[in-house]
Amino acid sequence: MLLTRKANGSVAREGRLARALSGVLAKTMDRRAFLRRSGVALGASAVASQLPFRIIGEAEAQEKKVAAKVEVKRTVCTYCSVGCAIDAHVQNGVWIRQEPVFDSPINLGAHCAKGAATRDQGITHDSRRLKYPMKLEGGKWKRISWDQALDEVSKRLLKIREESGPDALMVVGSSKYSNEQAFLLRKWVSLWGTNNTDHQARICHSSTVAGVAQTWGYGAMTNSYNDELNSKSLFFLGSNAAEAHPVSMLHTLHARENGCKVIVADPRYTRTAAKADIYVRHRSGSDVALLMGILHHIFKNGWEDKEYIRTRVYGMEQVKEEVLKKWTPDKVTEVTGVSEAEVFQVAKTLAENRPGMIVWAMGQTQHNNATTGVIRASCLLELALGNVGRRGGGANIYRGHDNVQGATDVGPNPDNLPGYYPVAVPGSWAHWARVWNVDLEWLKKRFASEAMMTKPGITVSRWIDAVLEKNENIDQDPNLRAMIYWGHSPNSQTRGSDMLEAMKKLDLMVVVNPYPSATAAMCAMVRKDGVYLLPSTTQYESSGSCTASNRSVQWREKVMEPLFESRTDHMIMYQLAQKLGFADQLLGKKDGKQNIRLVKGKGGMDEPDVEDILREINRGVWTIGYSGISPERIQAHMRNMHLFDARTLRCKGGKDAKTGYDLTGDYFGLPWPCWGKPEMKHPGTPNLYDTSLPVMEGGGNFRALFGVERDGVSLLAEDGSHPKGADITTGHPPFDHVLLKKLGWWDELTEEEKKEAEGKNWANDLSGGIIRVATKVHGCMPFGNAKARAVVWNFPDPIPQHREPLYSPRPDLVEKYPTYDDVKTLWRLPVRFKSEQQKAVKEEMHKKFPLILTSGRLVELQGGGEEQRSNRWLAELQQENFVEINPKTAAARGVRNGEYVWVSTPQRNPDGSFVRIKVRARVTEGVGPDTVFIPFHFSGWWQGRDMLAFYPEGTEPRVRGDAVNTAIPYGYDRITVIQESKTTLCQVERA
Amino acid sequence: MARMKFLCDAERCIECNGCVTACKNENEVPWGVNRRRVVTINDGVVGAEKSISVACMHCSDAPCMAVCPVDCFYKTEDGVVLHDKDLCIGCGYCFYACPFGAPQFPSAGAFGLRGKMDKCTFCAGGPEPDRSEAEFRKYGRNRLAEGKLPACAEMCATKALLGGDGDVIADIYRERVTRRGRGPEAWGWGTAYGLPGRGGASPAQPAGGRS
Amino acid sequence: MRALAASAAFVAAAFGLAACMEVEQTVGPPKAGKYQGKPDTPAWANEPLAHETARWTKGDRASWEAQIKARQLAQHEDRRIYQ
Repeated sequence: MLLTRKANGSVAREGRLARALSGVLAKTMDRRAFLRRSGVALGASAVASQLPFRIIGEAEAQEKKVAAKVEVKRTVCTYCSVGCAIDAHVQNGVWIRQEPVFDSPINLGAHCAKGAATRDQGITHDSRRLKYPMKLEGGKWKRISWDQALDEVSKRLLKIREESGPDALMVVGSSKYSNEQAFLLRKWVSLWGTNNTDHQARICHSSTVAGVAQTWGYGAMTNSYNDELNSKSLFFLGSNAAEAHPVSMLHTLHARENGCKVIVADPRYTRTAAKADIYVRHRSGSDVALLMGILHHIFKNGWEDKEYIRTRVYGMEQVKEEVLKKWTPDKVTEVTGVSEAEVFQVAKTLAENRPGMIVWAMGQTQHNNATTGVIRASCLLELALGNVGRRGGGANIYRGHDNVQGATDVGPNPDNLPGYYPVAVPGSWAHWARVWNVDLEWLKKRFASEAMMTKPGITVSRWIDAVLEKNENIDQDPNLRAMIYWGHSPNSQTRGSDMLEAMKKLDLMVVVNPYPSATAAMCAMVRKDGVYLLPSTTQYESSGSCTASNRSVQWREKVMEPLFESRTDHMIMYQLAQKLGFADQLLGKKDGKQNIRLVKGKGGMDEPDVEDILREINRGVWTIGYSGISPERIQAHMRNMHLFDARTLRCKGGKDAKTGYDLTGDYFGLPWPCWGKPEMKHPGTPNLYDTSLPVMEGGGNFRALFGVERDGVSLLAEDGSHPKGADITTGHPPFDHVLLKKLGWWDELTEEEKKEAEGKNWANDLSGGIIRVATKVHGCMPFGNAKARAVVWNFPDPIPQHREPLYSPRPDLVEKYPTYDDVKTLWRLPVRFKSEQQKAVKEEMHKKFPLILTSGRLVELQGGGEEQRSNRWLAELQQENFVEINPKTAAARGVRNGEYVWVSTPQRNPDGSFVRIKVRARVTEGVGPDTVFIPFHFSGWWQGRDMLAFYPEGTEPRVRGDAVNTAIPYGYDRITVIQESKTTLCQVERA
Repeated sequence: MARMKFLCDAERCIECNGCVTACKNENEVPWGVNRRRVVTINDGVVGAEKSISVACMHCSDAPCMAVCPVDCFYKTEDGVVLHDKDLCIGCGYCFYACPFGAPQFPSAGAFGLRGKMDKCTFCAGGPEPDRSEAEFRKYGRNRLAEGKLPACAEMCATKALLGGDGDVIADIYRERVTRRGRGPEAWGWGTAYGLPGRGGASPAQPAGGRS
Repeated sequence: MRALAASAAFVAAAFGLAACMEVEQTVGPPKAGKYQGKPDTPAWANEPLAHETARWTKGDRASWEAQIKARQLAQHEDRRIYQ
């Protein structure tokens, strides 16, 4: 670590001099004091009239105490999905300190580098925040007023809409939104009239959600980080939790010290692997073979949980047959490079140490066969072992951003309305038009056609092709002409050199972000105009809820007023909606009713009330049980965190002093599904599908999502498999008015409930009566009781298959395990698979680029990284992008530790040359001789050239570097088109 | 009687750098000065990689205090080693003496010009009135005077870094060792306790003669 | 011998002369090894802050120590997990 290198030489000198003098003169203001007071001096609207200490002379006033009162606001870290609580100390509107919240049952006061440094977001001195709206004019960034910005942007959008229709716009939303903002954006985009919206989940866990949901019902983490304390084994395959979810390691390591076996399989020896009991190094991209190899030993030795499979799983016999026949140890070793003994050891350890969990993140999700292959194989492993739906056992999926779970649940998805109501089903639109209080016919007319309304939109991983591709190949009328990057980075998507071309071709690019992000710099590099930057706030400048990876919902209090000229995302959504003509619909204002009130925000301007938005979510999202997660309940949870047990997340007893709400029995954050209306007081579901508990105590079973029977075999759960105490002791379909009547339970609904529930099912009954009768009265799961599917017959690969990456180092294996056939239309665009792979083989890419390139995370940075690299404390810790390279590989190329190298890949520039990025070499044995690793958090250089000149002045991140995704070439998942950024090819040479 | 100490449990440290940024944040330490750093040894070597967080250890018999030519160091009743920056002449002797590299000097120029020494204060401030502006400017936060413990230890992601009363730390660590059923398997463990094969070389046993 | 004595005397004289011309470098007798800086007050001599949860009696070392130890133990995750 180059700790003493300064990004800005003058700064350190000033500090040293001032410090040297301070002892003598005690009158100069050195950097510490300047930093401490900076918020007061420069903060836009929250400026106090008096400075707490005057500069000259006050330093001698030793006894002067701080005059103004300090307020403590409880918030949640804005970085990863663990959801560490923070107590922000605010004085005169300035965030002066942060304290850990030991009471939090989730993180117990712990933080990682990012969480411990997050107060930098509130420091206005030398802030790299986007401070005011900007416009690119003649290739230069010009400051403009908000009025001008909103005016020009809306006019241009309306013009594009008139010329090309609403589908010419794509709004890339954010996993950093609060639930309320995410929900509002999905509504916003629907009111505009397109499904072209997406967020970070696409490039993160989209394959997980699809693969897991298609197996057993919901695509979310089945347990929680805390529940690892109850596990006997933890298998990390595709997760570097020590760097990506550091605080989760608190629970992992505590479990390990209590005898839990930690197994890590990773092409790199990561910080997580350093804490493993068993470490397995397998070839990047060979995960399916590894998992099937483990399953082979499990089936061969009869270690599978036969009773569990009989009652709760459909189709495992087919899987067993294929695994035993196809994935013999020699085949597994051929593909993965792992010896039979090692695979056997893993299988035996997992079998002997149950309940256990499999943990994964991007290592599994970012492959061409992620959804149908890797993810599904992970599910099969846990089903075979009988681990799913138990305390201490399951699929512990580590989501990424602080609210990617919430944004996926209720936010901007191209194929779903909030709550996973599919856009392809007209009933979803009918449901949401009702909840939103919007006229359905009016809403239909907003779209180019009803066909477009029910067609899933374009994804963030592929938007560039929607701009560049030939119009006849796109499954919508216009090409994309306008993009709004609303809280998203560009350098987390691959094929950066192609993205630059797309940015050139767009008519309009709008960036709404607290920081300009690499989007601004990239656009300024290739464009002269047509780009607008609108400053929005961080999550510390507004209140709202966020959903952690374990499905717990936490409430953030507002720490400070929006800094500089930034506005909250929901204020910007409302103000744009006003200009674009659907402001009333956004608030649900119709027929004398208004769902969402307006409150006064920054500068006295109107903005939608966040608590009202959450109540609208409560009224509409029945499918995943957001209905019971009211603002009052979760705010009471945040005030009484100390009452929740850290092992079970349950409150044993206690009342909220402020509201009198009785917290007894609640699970912290009411992890969804939290069934029924808030009054029903369902406690939340800490572990999904757990049949050992009653439904009203957080129990459950697998979802009936795939029909009642297949090929004569019942898909419903067998007799005796049901949540504890359920009145139906066997499998059953989801509840609707017909089933209730058949069971004779219809009259248990109140008269009012009956009126609403007539003709409805559990998911669109706005009274919640069907759910109430099913859960509270009869202890049954509203979504039915079925078996998990070992075989997903609607996938191209019903049973997981290994398929070589599109850019594979092994042409011989490409022959045996080729990728999918090309697809003509997937998410409105053609996708190449086999043709790309064959082309790579024919052009002998594996010879030109003999090293496997994998990318991943660093603990100090997150996502695109512009935000953390603008943080003065985090930037110091990771100042340059680097490539991890094995000593042998480095020696063969004459590369020494710390030198610059060029990393080139099969990705091409428009002129046909191969993209190459310039990074430092970090020689380590952590990667094998055939693999190199580059973190993806850097941007701000373009193939060796610093892009400093293209950032608006004073907003460039403190440290910049080449983005690995500029170089990562074509490759997408077959189902969700998540990019294949975990395994591709490259060459390294000395610079 | 409380005696303040740090202990970093290398079995738990994952080099998340939370302690590093917690300190920078709480004490507003400028760029280039790092009171706390995390060191990882044997990076990438399977089975041997370990991380440990290092700052001032507040030694009972502090070498920095012993060598300071202007005697600007003192030790509080809790055992926290602090110094007076007004007296410090920036000679760097304490830096030579300290086995942990705790004294920090912001470097500038080609020949390492030094200013006043800065180091971890166990979040106990310095010889200025407690919790005053002057103390914050020179030494950072005085958390002990607020009844709290050092920010780094309180915010450690995996509770590897323990900071506070030495007796309590010993109790906590003893519980962990008992639960793990073994020692830290760190370098030198074998040397210190003469257990061959338990990580780190054990001292060669002389044939006969004195042990 | 005489030359040696003379040179020795010269040297002695030079030293003596030098000592007379020297300016006193320290204030008072040197106190080697003893702290020379400003006084500092112990942590428990302060009043607990109103907006914080930590509580002790100002000036009472034992009460301050007790609450510090309690705080330290409360952070130990075993207490939360095995409660």
